Amino acid sequence: MIFRATIEIVLVATLAGMIGVHIVMRRLSFFTMALTHATFPGVVAASIIGVNLLLGGIATGAVIALGVAALSRRRGQNAAAATGVLLSGGFALGAALIATQSGFSRDLSSFLVGSILTVSDQDLLITAGVLVIVGAVLLLCARPLLFTGFDPAGARAAGLAVGAWDVVLLLTIQVVVVTVVPAVGTILALSLIVAPAAAARLWTDRLPLLTTLAMLLAVASGLAGLAVSAQWNVAAGASISLSATLALLVSWALRKAVS
Amino acid sequence: MELRYTGVSLGYQGKKALIDVEIRLKAGQRLALVGPNGAGKSTLIKSMLGQSEILGGTAIIPPRDVIGYVPQSGDLDPDFPVSVQQVVMMGRYRSLGWWRPVRKADRQAVAEALDQVGLTDKARNRFGTLSGGQRQRVLLARAIVAQPQLLLLDEPFNGVDAVSQDAIVTVLRDLSAAGTALVLSTHDLAVARDLADLICLLNGRQFAVGTPGETLTASSLRPVYAHRALDLADGRLVLVDP
Amino acid sequence: MIEPFSVPFMGRALAEIALLAVICGPVSVFVFVRRLSFVSDALTHTVFPGVVIGFAAAGVEGVFAGALVAGVVTAVVLTLLTRGARLTDDAATAVLLTAMFSIGVVLVSRRSSYTSDLTSFLFGRLLTVTSRQLAETAVLAVVILVALAVSHRALLFRAFDPEGAAAAGFRVGRLDLWLNVLLALVVVAGVRAVGTILVVALLIVPAAAARMVSDRLAVMAAVGATLVFLSGYCGLLLSWTASLRYEIALTSASAVVLLLVIFYVILMPFRRVAA
Repeated sequence: MIFRATIEIVLVATLAGMIGVHIVMRRLSFFTMALTHATFPGVVAASIIGVNLLLGGIATGAVIALGVAALSRRRGQNAAAATGVLLSGGFALGAALIATQSGFSRDLSSFLVGSILTVSDQDLLITAGVLVIVGAVLLLCARPLLFTGFDPAGARAAGLAVGAWDVVLLLTIQVVVVTVVPAVGTILALSLIVAPAAAARLWTDRLPLLTTLAMLLAVASGLAGLAVSAQWNVAAGASISLSATLALLVSWALRKAVS
Repeated sequence: MELRYTGVSLGYQGKKALIDVEIRLKAGQRLALVGPNGAGKSTLIKSMLGQSEILGGTAIIPPRDVIGYVPQSGDLDPDFPVSVQQVVMMGRYRSLGWWRPVRKADRQAVAEALDQVGLTDKARNRFGTLSGGQRQRVLLARAIVAQPQLLLLDEPFNGVDAVSQDAIVTVLRDLSAAGTALVLSTHDLAVARDLADLICLLNGRQFAVGTPGETLTASSLRPVYAHRALDLADGRLVLVDP
Repeated sequence: MIEPFSVPFMGRALAEIALLAVICGPVSVFVFVRRLSFVSDALTHTVFPGVVIGFAAAGVEGVFAGALVAGVVTAVVLTLLTRGARLTDDAATAVLLTAMFSIGVVLVSRRSSYTSDLTSFLFGRLLTVTSRQLAETAVLAVVILVALAVSHRALLFRAFDPEGAAAAGFRVGRLDLWLNVLLALVVVAGVRAVGTILVVALLIVPAAAARMVSDRLAVMAAVGATLVFLSGYCGLLLSWTASLRYEIALTSASAVVLLLVIFYVILMPFRRVAA
């Protein structure tokens, strides 16, 4: 059990660190939070109907990612508010759906803080598969993603389809979220995505180094949190997320001391 | 009202951005700060608002509540749900304080200021629906309702159409005739020559201060703009990318 | 249609919603114009450890104090963090949110009633609101509304034009702290009765929906409050009918949020676009 959990957390943390760099650079943390909540009803509905959870999540998530992309491109629309509406609406819908089932509070708490100790072999395979795909996409598209994220106007002038690249990134984030949330929960997903990348950001601005550092920090936080959880019998999701926070705080303090 | 800088250096977080500032401005005078981008024009204006640091020299600045400030309208959110009237009323907020309700005198002051900038018919429109030039005029009206003795304007003619520019220039002349001192930054030399009675040439340090006739000459401008100035054969100077 | 609300607990639930509607109409307008959706969401999560500690220390009575302390601490930390340099605002907010919530989970996960505690935190206990809780909410409502009335000019100026407000002598940093503390108070007022899901919706959705039909702040506040009350009324009725007539367990908090979001969607076509 612990063995599977260890493998899963290494895979998930690598995935989170990789995508986290883009999320932190483009300030998409709130979007990611909203995505974790908004895909929730899709996952629940899928489990009620009996189709694959991942497919259910991906289907709703894709709709939402495209919706947000459309909303935020349109003038006269407060994107933060629209994202917030999506978040609360999605969560309420998911909670309402889940309440119709038995085992209600158990499912809900595992949605929030995950159940990494109960991952199956199939979960591991899926996570590994997604890791390979997302890694390939981010590696192949690194340059356009960096360019369009850093300087949209310049990228447009250089002939890049900025809108299309935004959609590529949002969809990739969404695939990561859908894969990661069922295993580790929304709160842990968000913290593993944001905190290591933010910590790495304090040390370097160069994308390859930044990504490597973020992945290493995420994996280290994951393993440390898992050890703490096993030692003192606290929720694994929470101790991992606190380890990631600690990594950020230490980086920040060291950085202050250095400069 | 007295504004006097003697050998002042300015900057942020202890780092100097502008040195050797010598200014003297009396009521009703109009001072234009001229120089290329990054010359320190904004730093100088911000120093009068206490938003940049005075790192040396002596600066005599009037108390904050007699200073008005007109920011660049381009920095404001065009979707913000606020009417033109409300924006102008913000100029009265400081005198209204926390509790006092808006009175007739406040409303009248707002109406008069809007009339002065020629936007009475837009009073109930949303701020963001106005053109760039009209927005700038609204912000000017907001500064006027507070009846400042010293008015600071940051690039008031940036992205402003000809009609609005004329309207703003007229209002500024009227204000200075009524005794308000003006400080405005601009990189438009024609406007500066037309409007100001004092020009201050800046680029990291103060190069010259004086009347437009003294300062807006090829020989004075050349060192300020350095490689961005091109000499023409007939003795005139052309500024590239000012 | 009135009949369900003559049952005492339904009447109290509706009264609680009405009080929250009066607060959240105006407050959500400031959340909207300052783009504080994420901060609101963060605050609803960060009061969690306070709730847990308060409950452990002093039972039900301690929840209020615990939430209050945690909320105010978060408001201060968030204000400080968002003025920082290299960490972007939203990353800092996300980290604070997850860290505080995780502390709460760590504390609660050592208790046997772990999952049901978490659930009641998420959904609140709208149908078991006591008269005492109602009185506390009413007091907080008065405090929040007075605080908002006193500072609305400064807050509006700062939201519209921070640079201009600072030049006019307003302390932007203090105003930001003030608004964040007010948001924390709203969360504290609502979280026990209606849960985090509903509180975050009440802070974000009303003004966003009202903005579709008006670009006047006062109108937005009034429309927002009305929408909250309508959703509350219909949501309670819906969950009552669903559970009594059709035996479907529809939590009232979810029903209210879903109706609020439906209002938002219905109003979308009426959006007043820039003329």
